[in-house]
Amino acid sequence: MKKVMVPDQSTGEKVIRHAAAIGVTMKESVYPLTATVFYPKERKKMPDNLRGYLMFDLDKCISCWQCAFICPANAIRMKEAPNNRYYPTVDYGKCIFCHFCIDSCSGGALMSTKIHDVAYKDMDEMVTLTEEMIEPPEIIREDKKTVEYVIDKKDLHLKRRKEVDTLLVENIPPVEIPMVSQCVDRGSCLACRVCERVCESGAVSSSTENGIIRMKIDTEKCTGCGLCVKECSMQILRLVRK
Amino acid sequence: MMELINTLISTMMSNQVSIPLAEPILELLRDIPLVGEMIALILWRPIFAALICPGLTVGGILLLFFPWIERKLCGRIQWRVGPHEIVWWLGGLIQILADTLRFLFQEVIVHKDAHKHYFLQFPFLSFIAFLLPLLFIPAGNIVAIESPYAIQIMLALICLFPVFILGLGWASNSRFSFIGTVREAFMYFAYEVSFIIAILAMIVLYGTSDMVSIVDKQSIWGIALNPIAALAFFIAAAMATSRLPFEIAEADQEVAAGPHVEYSGIAFGLIYVMCYEKAYVLSGLMTVLFLGGGSAPYIPVITDLLAPLLGDLWGAMWFVLKTIIVMTTLFVLRTIYPRYRLDQGLSIGWGAMLGLSVIALALSLALVAGGVIVI
Repeated sequence: MKKVMVPDQSTGEKVIRHAAAIGVTMKESVYPLTATVFYPKERKKMPDNLRGYLMFDLDKCISCWQCAFICPANAIRMKEAPNNRYYPTVDYGKCIFCHFCIDSCSGGALMSTKIHDVAYKDMDEMVTLTEEMIEPPEIIREDKKTVEYVIDKKDLHLKRRKEVDTLLVENIPPVEIPMVSQCVDRGSCLACRVCERVCESGAVSSSTENGIIRMKIDTEKCTGCGLCVKECSMQILRLVRK
Repeated sequence: MMELINTLISTMMSNQVSIPLAEPILELLRDIPLVGEMIALILWRPIFAALICPGLTVGGILLLFFPWIERKLCGRIQWRVGPHEIVWWLGGLIQILADTLRFLFQEVIVHKDAHKHYFLQFPFLSFIAFLLPLLFIPAGNIVAIESPYAIQIMLALICLFPVFILGLGWASNSRFSFIGTVREAFMYFAYEVSFIIAILAMIVLYGTSDMVSIVDKQSIWGIALNPIAALAFFIAAAMATSRLPFEIAEADQEVAAGPHVEYSGIAFGLIYVMCYEKAYVLSGLMTVLFLGGGSAPYIPVITDLLAPLLGDLWGAMWFVLKTIIVMTTLFVLRTIYPRYRLDQGLSIGWGAMLGLSVIALALSLALVAGGVIVI
């Protein structure tokens, strides 16, 4: 076992090191760097890909449930809307801001923002309903300046600019890889028609011929959301590239 | 009776502090019956020294603002801001005043195991150890008591500080304050010996322990004559004030507040300023011993202009200025070094510092015996 020891230094080295420490102190007392941001009065400029508060676009959602499935903290629950579709609600008491939901959203309906300072009065209020996620939350902005941390070759320093940072970011829609559902083992199909029932776009259809039920997936209609793959009881459906 | 009062007033008038700048106002006030006598009393040199400079007033102002200076400066060095929110346009200047007010109105809790009388008395009594040594420190021409044994008496009074700290730790009667008290006691013995030897080196060098004549003899500052003694004294002062890096007794992170863990309210406030009191007394002593006391350097225009105007206050001002510089250096140490462990502190005290102070004493003896300095 290696023992951690005090570094063996000669007296000269020690004196040099003490002098260096005192020198740094003298330098900092005259020309200090400051790392403090006076938060309500000024805001730190956050990177555009900050994992912050979630926003939701109703038109883009295909109700594929992927966000709810992937959420590791079980924060997203799907709730039925009057139009019989299911939309996500987020419980910020559970959310760990991993943004897996945004990454998994096939339609790009869930979006990230730079908002990171939302306050709630109690735990119930933290369950954010779908309609609350469409508009950004109300924020009282007291900040007049934006502070940027600049790390150059020498050190870190703060750059203060007299501008108000917008907290909403322009979301680049994900590059879509067209996927389509495909049955890989037709012989094992039970014809339970779960896939037909869950399909939102009506791509799966069934027909009865001579008492034999035949399932068919329309590759033109299929959005590649993967719902049927998830639900298939025999697990014979796969998502493949179009 | 009247004769006695007249003698007293004539004694006071013969030994007044002269401030030419304030003379017109004082002249007006002297004509008012009772106020005149009061002004004569306050401006009487010994009373002025005890009450105003370097005594109660200057000490009190320093206690009120020095923690702010320390926190602000250390914050600056450590990339922080320091006190900020209270009066933000003054940079949190009255932070300590606000804290004091809060302490004043806070309940002082005396827990049932504590020795009530000692528990409450020691924080207040520790003020004695702060105020009495100030009587012997000359600020320029102003000194309360001139004595050939000034340094010895001061040392004895300074050594009272740890006694009060040990006393209040003991009166708390709690295991946590006992731990802090024992740590304090260890450190006390570790620095005290080398501290006294370092002062002894300077007494040998000057050939007197009268503070006023020590200041007079410093045509070259003591720090230039015997830098080793200055270093030993400075480290001992850092240990005595028990701030970082020698904050062993009241290490906040490990043993909470050490001996003061049971205190609250204004009693805690008094203990909180104790190390600043001690730092003021020790920095004053260091200024007198090593930095030429209230002797002012000659700065072309400013000296010609201000020295005649301020009179006796000119020297006092330089004394306070030097003291503040020494105090600042003492407290900035906390940004340079992390805290030592108790065993490291003890080995520094009984090892390196004792060695340094003995070398300093030998250097002084050699300087005196070699005839470099004629006493």
